[in-house]
Formats: sequence, structure tokens, C-alpha cells
Amino acid sequence: MHDATSPRLDGERPTVLELRGIRKVFPGVVALDGVDAVFRACEVHSLVGENGAGKSTLMNVMIGLFRPDAGDVLVGGRPTVLSRPADARALGIGMVPQELNLVPHLSVMENVLLGTPPLRLAGRAIDWREMRARAARALAAVDADLDLDAEVAGLSAARQQSVQIARALAQDARLLIFDEPTAALSIPEAERLLTLVERLRDEGHAIVYVSHRLPEILRISDRVTVLRNGCKTAEIPGAEATEAILVRHMIGREMVRAGSAAAVPDAQPILEVRGLGRIGEFEDVNFALRPGEILGIAGLIGAGRTEMARCLFGDTRPDRGEILVAGERVDFRHPSEAIAHGIAYVPEERKRLGIFPVLGIDENMTLPILPRMTRFGGVDRRRRAEVTDRWVNEFAIKISGHDQPIRNLSGGNQQKVILGRWLATGCRILLLDEPTRGIDVAAKFEIHRILRELAAAGMAILVISSELEEVIDLSARILVMHEGRVKGETDAATATQERLLTMAVDRAAAPH
Amino acid sequence: MTRPDNGASATSLLGRIFRIKESGIILAILLMGAFIAVSNPNFLTPYNIQVVARQVSFIAVVAAGQTLVLLLGGIDLSVGAIAGLSAILGAMMMTGGGLDPFLAMAIAVLFGFACGLVNGVMIARLKLNAFIVTLATGEVFAGAILVITKGYAITGVPKVFQVVGQGNLWGLPIPVAIMFVIYLGLGWVTRNTPFGRNVFAIGGNRDAARFSGLRVERVEALVYGLSGAAAALAGMMFVSRMNAGQPTIGASWLMPSITAAIIGGTSLSGGVGTMFGTLLGATFMAVLGNGIVLMNVSSYWERVIIGFFVIVAVIVDLVRRSGGGWRLPPWLSFGRR
Repeated sequence: MHDATSPRLDGERPTVLELRGIRKVFPGVVALDGVDAVFRACEVHSLVGENGAGKSTLMNVMIGLFRPDAGDVLVGGRPTVLSRPADARALGIGMVPQELNLVPHLSVMENVLLGTPPLRLAGRAIDWREMRARAARALAAVDADLDLDAEVAGLSAARQQSVQIARALAQDARLLIFDEPTAALSIPEAERLLTLVERLRDEGHAIVYVSHRLPEILRISDRVTVLRNGCKTAEIPGAEATEAILVRHMIGREMVRAGSAAAVPDAQPILEVRGLGRIGEFEDVNFALRPGEILGIAGLIGAGRTEMARCLFGDTRPDRGEILVAGERVDFRHPSEAIAHGIAYVPEERKRLGIFPVLGIDENMTLPILPRMTRFGGVDRRRRAEVTDRWVNEFAIKISGHDQPIRNLSGGNQQKVILGRWLATGCRILLLDEPTRGIDVAAKFEIHRILRELAAAGMAILVISSELEEVIDLSARILVMHEGRVKGETDAATATQERLLTMAVDRAAAPH
Repeated sequence: MTRPDNGASATSLLGRIFRIKESGIILAILLMGAFIAVSNPNFLTPYNIQVVARQVSFIAVVAAGQTLVLLLGGIDLSVGAIAGLSAILGAMMMTGGGLDPFLAMAIAVLFGFACGLVNGVMIARLKLNAFIVTLATGEVFAGAILVITKGYAITGVPKVFQVVGQGNLWGLPIPVAIMFVIYLGLGWVTRNTPFGRNVFAIGGNRDAARFSGLRVERVEALVYGLSGAAAALAGMMFVSRMNAGQPTIGASWLMPSITAAIIGGTSLSGGVGTMFGTLLGATFMAVLGNGIVLMNVSSYWERVIIGFFVIVAVIVDLVRRSGGGWRLPPWLSFGRR
């Protein structure tokens, strides 16, 4: 156990886990190549890198899911072989995965002590009283007001995460690995999580923190390890890290930000929304979108932005208000009708709503336009190959063949295939919902470049994003939504993250 | 853009053969056929082959519809009952009703389509669970057969109608010819038409299909309709074969229709499979059943052995899907990728 009284002095913090020269090879890929890292108590050690840099593999080595092909794992200074997750757990290594692994229809208490329930009657029956006491103890540090008997399925993402953290604590974890813990959280929830992580650190835990969100990394880290292509490219003390330094080590070169967004073009709106509302989701939304314009929609998770976009796309029908496309009033009953009017929607959950995992890139790209490219009733394969080639080349999508299953592509390349799918339909209005979530930095800036070029060519683009920087970078105008209402509109040129954030959370400023 | 080879073996003839998805099942049929042929010379006689082919055709036609449903990510447990009920109605129309037998057959197939459509609408529109809906309608249809027939066969089927189940076309039994037409047709449709590709897309990711603008509900309802129509067609073929509307028609067809698809490589989770694979799966089962008879093994063993091969097929499917994480020894993996 850690010594809670020891001061947080550098060099005196005991090492919990040390990795030396870790190498892991998968068929055709060196996932990790000689990675060293030391994880100390009372320290937040962050791992950053693009997708595919080796963060996941490294985490899986730490939790005993993968055995390294070379290198040593030392727990508490002693060389150890972690041959299965149970070994790592027994040595005090706990993980809070991005995709929580809870049992939805069991109670909070049972989930906290899943797999290690306290027993009585010589191991023949569950000791419910002891279980309640232990779960309460573990949760007290995390989220004290959580009802132990509540069903996990009914909890918010943030509270489910609390249950997962409590489980790691109940197993006496001294090292806690957080994998993208804020990805599914709203801004205030993320803030609360960061505070909790800091508290766990101060109580003596070693923390491994993995995130794509650099501002978080900068705020919370005592040490940052940067990975690129399976190699460690830098280890930087938290106090010395800046976003520019991290990005440089992550991508191996300086990142040049493209210039700020274009001005609002002076044209007839192609999409107009008047007093649009859906009960319980959003109300009284008004805006106009012109060809060549990028309109940003900022706000917190749960502000009604996704619901509004899906309503524009015909997935749901509005209860009041009207939608006009090129001045004509429309009432979509199905996404196909929106598509016929030139509207495209790139959903936030790419895996669940965007891709057809086992189908090839060509089929993923051309599915909506298949009926338009038939010969004698069958799909014209030559035409399909042409269309696929066009967008693969246009967006420099890295593929090994047209029939390569899309699930084998990186997130950025998948997103480009989906963009190609919509552009192939000849859409005039692009609705994008968190277009770069879970996509690495280089691909993200490439998608931004593509969007700017599309706008310059006359596309009307609506970008929903929880990343304020992204909204400010891309958009000419920004709408801020809060609890289903548009709380304000601002010019991107004068917008700052602080101002948008204030508009997105501050109740007092809401116009009534 | 040229497609890179997936391995050195891809250029050799053998390598190319093994890249065909169905090579495993083809190999299994050939090995088993060779084994039976060596032990019993009667196996490869034209007469025996005709018998086997005729036998397989009924279930193969049902399995064709079932495969469409499985590709979509659904399941149709009512195929046997739809086959039986349509067959009874068809037989009644041509005996008591005095309708032209071929017109009666067409109406029966349409009726089967309608029964399937009822399933499809409940599953697609009301979002009910396919397993439960088709289990329930299967009970309704099977019960209706008994209500209508009281357990007695409907006899007096006109002689001209016998050609459908018993006739030959240049030595090819007509039911086998029907089976080939169905498989060639649906094989082409699933691989080449927008409708067919939509079935794969919906089976692969239903939500993404809706967000790509596909009319998911329509495709789904239509597929269940087609499954019902295929079952009804097989039922009518059997009426012709038996010269009667037996109340037991279709009663034993459900499980083989699913088994044939699974042995042929169709995934129960949807989006993966081929019509050709199902035809091979049905052939495999028929050859196996025939071999058991020819080799004087007690026919009670047939189901035991088929069950065993379903497990093998499911493991092969798992290995293929996990794509490397879970490998069979190379001598067992049939070169599938």
C-alpha cells in the first residue's frame, strides 16, 4: 500500500509500475518498439499520440491483456509477467476503459464488486451486507450520492463511469489507467472528473491518463509521454509542456494551422429554419445557412444539437416550426427525402451510424447512389469503381483495395469515406456532427482543410462540435445552444473559447 | 487502382481456388462424396444422383428465402408453416375449387408472400423481435393447417400438375431445375442489384443504413415476403411430388433451412453470406443423408452428424470473422481469409 503521509517530492515518489524496452509486434505491424515508462505514486502520467501510435497496445500490456514480445514489466521494482488481466488486477493495476464494461441490468453495488463479491457460509453465498459496505466505501471517494441499488442501465454516462472507477478502487488499485475518460462527458462533468483524478493522485495513486484533448493533458499532467508509430518520441515534465511541443512530437513536424474561417457570403439562404422545435429536445431554433458558408453550432452535450440536426435530416419530424430548402418548405418523413433535397448528415457515432463494417470501401462509398448507377437492373461495377476512385484520390484515403472492409481503416480514413459517400450524392448541404471526434490530429486538420475547400466551392456546411476550438477555427458564424435553445449568435472573428463557454453554460445570461 | 495480392499463393491456381469463400464446403462435399463413392458404387449412379438432387431441391428452395432473411440480420421461424399452409390452400383450390392447377400454384405462392409480408411488417414497422414474431405466426399458420384439414390429406390433385414435382427436363428433374433458377436468380440479385446490396448493408448495420437514406423498413418487409413466397413455392412443389396436400408438408423444413445457410457460411448476425454457399450447404446435408443410407449406418445418426457439422461451420465462421486473433491450425483452415 502507498504511504499516504509521504510528501509529493520528486524522486521520492515510489515507483508503482515500470516498463523497460517494451516491444510488441502484430502481423505486419510493430505496435510498440522499445518503449520505456515509469509510473509513480502521486503522479499523473499522460500518454498522448495519434491513433495507431501505440497507446492502446501499451495500456493492454499494462493490464495484462497483451504479453510483450520483448522488454520487462516491473511492478513495485520486481520483474513480473502479467499473463492475464487477473494478474494485473491482483497487483493493483486498475483500468477505467473508454467503453465501460458494466453489466447494465445489475445494481450499482453489484457492478462495483463484479467478479469479487464478498462471500459468507464458507463461500457458498453472497454476503450482501458486506457488499453494501464495501461498495459504499469505494464509492464514497468517487460519487457519494450514488444510490447503491440503482440499476446501472438507467445512469448517465458520467455516473456509469463513477461506478467503473469505484470498481477499480474496490480492487485496491494503486495504478489507475484512464482511457479517454472525458470523451462521453459534458463540460461540467469533465471538470468534475479532472478534479477527481487530481484528488486520487493526491491520495497516493499512480495515474495513467490517455486523452486526445490536449488542454486537459496540459492541465492535469505531472509528466507526459508522447508516442509516435510505436516509439516513445518524448517525455516532458507537465510544467514544461505546451500544445505546440506536444503536437510537434506527436506528428513529427510543426503543425501549420490553416487561416481562420471565410466571411459569410452574400447569397440567398439554401437552408432556413424558423421556430423549429421538438418537444423535449429543442425549441424555437432559427437560422439561415448560405451556400459557401460554414455555420458552427457550439454547446454542451445534451444541448439538443444532435437532435436538431437529425430533425433537419428527416430522421425525426418537428413538432413545430418550419424548414425551408432553397426557399421551398419541406416536411421530411424519412432521411431519403432529405437526401433527395441535397442534404447530407455525417453522424457523431461513426461506428454505430456511419459505417458498414464488413462491406468494402466501394460499397460504403456508393450505397446511397446505387439505384442511380445500374445497368440492366444490376449495379454497374465500372461506374462504382470510378466513383470510388474519384473520392479516394480527392481525399488521399489510404486503402489497400476497393473491396477492403472499411472497419480496417483508421477513424480519419473512415470519416473521409463517409464524406465521399455524401459528396457522391451531389449534396448541397452538409450537416456534420462532431466530425473529428476520435480522429487523430493530422487527419483532423486534413478534414478541416477539406471542409474549407468544400465551402469555397459553394457547399453550405453546418458543423456541430463540442470542441470550441474546432468551431471557432472553421466557422464564419457560431450559434450557441443550451438546453434545447439557441442562446446566442456570434461572429467567429470575435469569438473566444471563454466567451462561447460562458454562453453555453451560464443560465443567468439566457434571454427570456 | 490495382488490387494487391493477399499472399504469394494468390497467383497459383490452387491459391486462387482457395481464395473462393466457399472452398471449404466444396472440399468437404468432394471428400465426403469420394469416400461414399469408394464404399458404395451405387452412390455415383445417375439414378441415385437424381434422387438426392430431387430430395435436396425442396429444402434448398426454402433455404434460399431463409438466407435472404439471415443476410438481413433477421430469422424466419415460420417458413415451414407457411410452406404447409400455402400448399394446403393451393391443393384445395385445384381440387375442391376446380382452379387451373398452375394458377392455383401461383396464388399459393402469392399467399405465401403475403404471409411473409405480415411477418415483415410486424418486424419492420412495429419493431417487434423477428424471432418472436415468426415463432408466433409459425404457430398460427401451423395451427390453421390443422383447423382446415383436421389432419386429413387433400387428395385428387390433377395429373397434369405432377410435372412440377416429378417431371424431368432433358434428364434434369423439374424441382431441381426450379431450384437452380431460384439460386441463379437470387444469387444475381444479391450480388448485383441495389436491392441485394441494401440487404447486405442493412444486415451489416441497420442504423447506418437508415442514415444513408435506405428505406430499411420496405426492404425488410419485402425480404420476409420473399422468404414466405419461396417457402410456398417449395410447398407446392411437394404437393405435386406427393399428389396430395399433406398436412405435414413443411413441418420438418425449418431447421434444415437454417442449417443449410449456416453450413454454407451465412452469419446469423447478418451481412455475411452467399446464396451459392447455402446451395452447397443444402447439398452437403443431402449427400451426408444419402451416404448414411448407402453405407448402412442407422439413419438415426444423421441428425447427430449434421449437428456436429453445424458446430464446425460456426467455428469456421468465428475464425474468419476474428481474422487472425483466433486461428485454427493451417491444415484445418481451408485457406479462407
